[in-house]
Amino acid sequence: MVKKTKIKIDHSKCHSGASTDPRDCRKCLFVCDPAVLLLHPTLEEHPDPHNPEIWRIDAIWLSKCTGCMRCVEVCPEQAITVEPGVTLHQMKAR
Amino acid sequence: MCEWCLKHGDGGKWYENARLYKNELADEYNAREYLEEQWKNMETLFIRKIMGFNSIGLGYKMQMPIIGRLIRRVVEGQIHSEKPNRNPVRADGHFGQVLPLEDAQHILGNLAAEPIIKNYCICRYMQRGVKDAVCINFGQLSEVIEKHTRYIPEGVKYRLDREEAIQALQEQNEKGYVASVWFQPVPYINAICSCETPECGGLRLRNDFDLRTVYKGEYVIDIDIDKCQGCKSCVRMCQFNALRYLPSVKRVIVDLDKCFGCGVCRHACNHDALNLVPRESVPGMAGKY
Repeated sequence: MVKKTKIKIDHSKCHSGASTDPRDCRKCLFVCDPAVLLLHPTLEEHPDPHNPEIWRIDAIWLSKCTGCMRCVEVCPEQAITVEPGVTLHQMKAR
Repeated sequence: MCEWCLKHGDGGKWYENARLYKNELADEYNAREYLEEQWKNMETLFIRKIMGFNSIGLGYKMQMPIIGRLIRRVVEGQIHSEKPNRNPVRADGHFGQVLPLEDAQHILGNLAAEPIIKNYCICRYMQRGVKDAVCINFGQLSEVIEKHTRYIPEGVKYRLDREEAIQALQEQNEKGYVASVWFQPVPYINAICSCETPECGGLRLRNDFDLRTVYKGEYVIDIDIDKCQGCKSCVRMCQFNALRYLPSVKRVIVDLDKCFGCGVCRHACNHDALNLVPRESVPGMAGKY
């Protein structure tokens, strides 16, 4: 079994009511070279894009994470935890 | 010639077929209805479950022996679907091809249906939180996108005439953005993007997961060894890591397997050493899209 990368974003800390709205903050999006994280609206039938509460940041492309921890360090709310695993590149090299 | 040229090219390249840009064709495929639903939900594409799987950790899912192969077959089937019951929120039938600036400007000048607009790139917004109005859309798609103000750049003229669209694309291409043309849904053509890796959702799926969301272009780059001065300027332009400088021979080499034929590297060359040649004319590259 490959060890998968686990990235948790605590949405009780990273949300529109926090000191910085994730859409304005986006520090983690900026520092991630492989662009693992994604800003997206929550999954509803017809999400209202003007409602700030629906916008979240989540880790999507987990197998591209190199475990550099820059996102963890840069997050002003300490909302991100990363447990690095095997990357896509390492899997392909096997 | 790629399979989509054979299917929809009417004897030429698919994206040079004027018929595929027309309103009549869009109506025939109920494109407006599809596009409205697709663009209302565009940003949920990667978190949406398809047959029980969303894109979260896709790299791990696709490495699973049987499930991985199943996902690949299902997803590629959807990407290239020409069935009448295509699902717009999954972006069924939405895929494209990289193309050089000249071909893309020919489309904007002659083939694209009006109105032509520029709007924010969703990929860059979702991956970096950056608003960059570099997507050029046309025909019925423009009218659909205009209704969703979050995609429309504020305080600038976003409806473009043909000359303005050609100029905008020129500037984006010179910056290093890769031009690409899109079916949405196949065979209706209504978008020319200026992409960047790894932000572009299409290039992400193609480069990292080998899903054919974006095809390589009809060309590859050719380096004139006699003209290359080894200045390395072109290397930093390539979005695909296809160019490299070799100190031993003091010139740049190309990895043709990685070259998408976008031609963006040419903007950096002051010695006329880089030229695009038809993919079909290069041994080993013919048919490899």
